[in-house]
Amino acid sequence: MQQYKKTQYKLILVLVGLPARGKTHISYKLNRYLNWIGYKSEIFSIKGAQQKDAQLDQNIDYELEIDPTNQQFIEVRQQLSFQAAQQLVTFLQNEGDIALYNGLTSTKSDRQKLKSLFKEKLNLEFQVFWIESICDDPQVILNNINESKLSRFKEKTIDQFTNQIKVLAQDYQTLENTENISYIKLINIGKQVKVHMLEGYLCSKIVSFLLNLHANNRQIYLVRSCESEYHLLDKIGGDPELSAMGKQHSQQIGNYFIEELKGNKNITFFTSQMKRGIQTAEIVGDKLGIKALKTKNLDEIDYGICDGLTLKEIAAKYPKQIKERKANPLEFKYPRGESFLDVIHRVEPIIYEIERSRDPVLVVAHVAVLKCLYAYYHCNQISEIPNIDIPINCVIKLVPIPYHCLESRVIIK
Amino acid sequence: MQQCNRSQKIAICTVGLPARGKTYISRKLNRYFNWLGYKSRVFINGNYRREICGTECNSQFFDPQNEEAQKARSDCAKMALQDLIQFLQNGGDVGILDGTNITKERRHQIENDLKSSFNGIQTLWIESICNDSKVIQNNIRLTKINNPDYCNVNPEQATIDFLNRIKMYEQIYQTITDDENLSYIKTMNVGADIIVHQVYGFLLSKIVSFIMNLHTYPRPIYLSRHGESQYNVDDRVGGDSDLSELGEMYAEKLADFFYSEFPTKEIKNQIIFFTSTMRRAVHTSDVVAQKLEIQPLQLKTLDEINVGICDGMTYTEIAQKFPNDFQERKINKLGYRYPRGESYLDLISRIEPVIFEIERSRQPVMIIAHQAILRCLYAYFHQNEIPEVPTLDIPLHCVIKLTPAAYFCDEKRVLINPQTGEISIKEEYVQEFVRSKSKQKSFIDL
Repeated sequence: MQQYKKTQYKLILVLVGLPARGKTHISYKLNRYLNWIGYKSEIFSIKGAQQKDAQLDQNIDYELEIDPTNQQFIEVRQQLSFQAAQQLVTFLQNEGDIALYNGLTSTKSDRQKLKSLFKEKLNLEFQVFWIESICDDPQVILNNINESKLSRFKEKTIDQFTNQIKVLAQDYQTLENTENISYIKLINIGKQVKVHMLEGYLCSKIVSFLLNLHANNRQIYLVRSCESEYHLLDKIGGDPELSAMGKQHSQQIGNYFIEELKGNKNITFFTSQMKRGIQTAEIVGDKLGIKALKTKNLDEIDYGICDGLTLKEIAAKYPKQIKERKANPLEFKYPRGESFLDVIHRVEPIIYEIERSRDPVLVVAHVAVLKCLYAYYHCNQISEIPNIDIPINCVIKLVPIPYHCLESRVIIK
Repeated sequence: MQQCNRSQKIAICTVGLPARGKTYISRKLNRYFNWLGYKSRVFINGNYRREICGTECNSQFFDPQNEEAQKARSDCAKMALQDLIQFLQNGGDVGILDGTNITKERRHQIENDLKSSFNGIQTLWIESICNDSKVIQNNIRLTKINNPDYCNVNPEQATIDFLNRIKMYEQIYQTITDDENLSYIKTMNVGADIIVHQVYGFLLSKIVSFIMNLHTYPRPIYLSRHGESQYNVDDRVGGDSDLSELGEMYAEKLADFFYSEFPTKEIKNQIIFFTSTMRRAVHTSDVVAQKLEIQPLQLKTLDEINVGICDGMTYTEIAQKFPNDFQERKINKLGYRYPRGESYLDLISRIEPVIFEIERSRQPVMIIAHQAILRCLYAYFHQNEIPEVPTLDIPLHCVIKLTPAAYFCDEKRVLINPQTGEISIKEEYVQEFVRSKSKQKSFIDL
């Protein structure tokens, strides 16, 4: 990807924090984001190391076995933490760009050992950035446990778990400037943020990204603009208006949302600057009493020289391009137009906006653009993007929750 | 994304001892907001004080025990705040209060006044802390000595007096604490440490990112258009034509010029080199890249303005085929959007990430791009008014070297003759202070 700086150095992001501080959640979100914008990124954790270690009893969840009195578990966790670090090194030595580490990092000596390991084993240029999550709000911690840990407890109770955390907290050492490391501290999910010695393009981006994270599980609705005049003629691209049928469908989508949103007017509502997007959004917006923000970032992919042609015409005029597109649909760029990678880049500010929003989000846009947005929440590889199905007259509802994204689709008749 | 939340009014207040970069931050933010299309203005406490109390104020004026002077200063500060509130009430979007505001009492008063003036106003406090005496001395040297307060004083005396002034402030300085319940950003030692507290919202989040990337390293920015293209020769707009023969010659001479500008390999490897994805720019950049042995980054963001349906036409053809559009564009070149294409305003929005990147960089930046794009970039750094953007002069075969400094931007134009390689240099030095002295009495912003 020429668009983003292929960094000259590898980047290691290390997560620090007591259990139930959202480290895993942060690492998942960051990892998803970094892969989406084109970097090869992976997470290395105790859980991951355990899954790769065939000799261990996979019925015990070592990530959660934090009992400070159980010497055997302590040793296993230390071993797994070390294995994860080694797997990280191998990954970066080969094809990896960015690695996230979620292991044992709670004391200064743990961190020192980790730094030494990286220095010793990695023989290429790398940068380490530390991400600490601090929380002293008991309600937030409880929510965290309920949402992401409870289902994995076999015999433990929440009280046992929180007591074990309290014991661990006694030995916990927060990041300090004297450790000479570059870091960000997220306190109480973004209520306060401290950044120290921030350097580099990628770290700046990561900090901007982290500033927007929060723990509200709000819904995100993705809707395609309705049937347009070009649809009827089977043409792609252009800036056509809605057909009569398209206007009807927009009305029905509006009705669906009236029920769905139940009068809530605090909606983050976006659409593109294309006529069919604006018209669909206006009709839906009128029903809900809200106005959409129009942004060119959500405009449909630029079809370049193929704009306004039917698929048959393209196949006849530009057979070479059709072949190229079949071979590599993700990176194929329409001559004088865009590729999916260009669209991802273009749509990135919208992702920031969606992430930042604590209210429900409604996006009215177009096929290629929505594929990219959808992929951010749902796909593990951007190579899947060209194959994503975004049908017309269908509302896709995404609810990102810790580690997953719930999805439901409603076809509007 | 100018379209977001225009209804929200924002007031930003600085906090900090003198010579901590508050005015620098205020002006940078002001520039950034105006650039994005928001109506923004800076209200400088110091300017109000100068207008009303005169400029012959030595450090005794700032003694916290000097009651008369204290009252005068307090009144001036109130006036600045009132003007800011009025500005927001009369269509302004962002008001920036540039002052020391170093006591809890003062901040509490200002916060209350602001919150009670508007429903839903967002306030943000930016405290700049610096303990590095070298940085402070440098700040004083670069910005205070030429300050109107010291126009009749020699530089050594001015520095001594100014350091005394700072001591006066230090006696009563109270850093922002969490119990004041303010949304704040603290930046320490020029961004080495940053604390963000309770900052929510679209614009405020953008401000945080922007501030994290600010620095005062005087690094040069080189802007050049691609060499003459085939379409330039035919006088056509748009397209993705390649270089003409003359253009190719320019590419060679440009490479020679940059080769001499960056003598050592170390410097060369640190250059941040951007170009667009269009043939004429890529071709020019490749020639330069080969000579310098560095790699350019091709950004679609730097592609020339999209002229939509007018792509490939000459201006005469456009005038004939689309006379209405041709007229519209003449009247409002800034906002006019080519059908299925872009407007200058779209361009400004489009290149925002590149502006960020350039701001962030502490190494020399080289950009080989296109006329409309460079007009936008040039205008941002040179602090031109937005309506001027579409008419700025960015000729072919010319390298513009900008060196942004604290309150102004140094400019040098290097015209390179593509056939002979002959270089002629035009030095244009724009001093903000000089400009403002000749302006009418205006203590609102520089």
